[in-house]
Amino acid sequence: MKLSCIIVEDIQIAADFLRKFCEKSDLVEVKGHFMNVTDALEFLDQERVDLLFLDVEMPGANGFELLDRLTYSPMIILTTSKTEYAFNAFQYHVNDYLKKPFTYKRFLEAIDKLQQQAAEAAPAQQTPVQPTTVNPLPDSDFLFIKAEDKLIKVRKDDILFLESMRDYVKFVTPLKSYITYSTLKNMEEKLIGQTFLKVHRSYIVNINKIDDIRGNIIYIVGNQIPIGKGHKEDLEARLNIL
Amino acid sequence: MQKIRPSFVFDENLNSSFLEELFEGDTIYAEAVFEDFLKDLPVYWERVEAAYQDRNLPTLGTSVHTCKTLFGYVGFTDLQELCQQFENKCSVNSPEELRVEYILLIQRKERAQHIIEKEYTRLRLFNGEND
Repeated sequence: MKLSCIIVEDIQIAADFLRKFCEKSDLVEVKGHFMNVTDALEFLDQERVDLLFLDVEMPGANGFELLDRLTYSPMIILTTSKTEYAFNAFQYHVNDYLKKPFTYKRFLEAIDKLQQQAAEAAPAQQTPVQPTTVNPLPDSDFLFIKAEDKLIKVRKDDILFLESMRDYVKFVTPLKSYITYSTLKNMEEKLIGQTFLKVHRSYIVNINKIDDIRGNIIYIVGNQIPIGKGHKEDLEARLNIL
Repeated sequence: MQKIRPSFVFDENLNSSFLEELFEGDTIYAEAVFEDFLKDLPVYWERVEAAYQDRNLPTLGTSVHTCKTLFGYVGFTDLQELCQQFENKCSVNSPEELRVEYILLIQRKERAQHIIEKEYTRLRLFNGEND
């Protein structure tokens, strides 16, 4: 299947190379090229794509600020000439990291890797008979998490927050954390409602468990959860702010 | 991309093995990229000069960063390294402390620009002869 993508890149030569590689591969369809984060976000508000090729250092907002404002989770390949962003890239769960200038061979390796990740994630999302997480009754106050080779019953009230770990999701409770093979998007569909809210592309929080909020950080029992810019309004609307 | 034209050899000052891998022998595309480089570099370099004059070191670092990327696409890997060092120093040094390195960077940039102008001419001739 051909992946749809956009290129967010302020250096024309770099963007031209990328477009050429996408066309040559016949694996990626370029829906647009944007020189800055604002224009890219405007496009992404109207249309979803499978993949972002994202430069980090651009005039105005940088690539990570775009990720903060995204309201869904496409695959991300960072394209930068600085290796110092590797830690941030890990935190933002980017799928790959291409150091500019890169060759067609390196580009293809990155696309192959994405396709493998997508293929591995697909059964978990598409096979309804063996879901990784079972929610037996739509309005039940518990769920079962498949972890540690068993199905573990967890009360929804006990969940502090969920964190995306690429192809896995970590459920954090006051006593223990559980890691299950699934995606945050999958969990979002099962949990979002009265008490759970997505506050960042990598986090869903239990609103009842929030201790306080300082700036763009939510504090829950000693844990710090970042608030993505695209999620701040939703969060504020859900809180009883006096 | 087109079939490799092995008879074109890049200037010895450039990282030719990387350029061969990057362009995969497509000298028509190489010509276009070298042309774009010559068109884009002065625009980006103006930002470097303006930032240095304004003593705006964060912008100076970002502008040199952009030029560094451009140099990479025409095979100046050694100049990329020099840009990276300068970029790093922008966050810790004053404009006065950077003066000597800034002058060196200007000299290297001008030399690089001159080499690429010659390479662009050679590529045009080569592609014209091999039409």
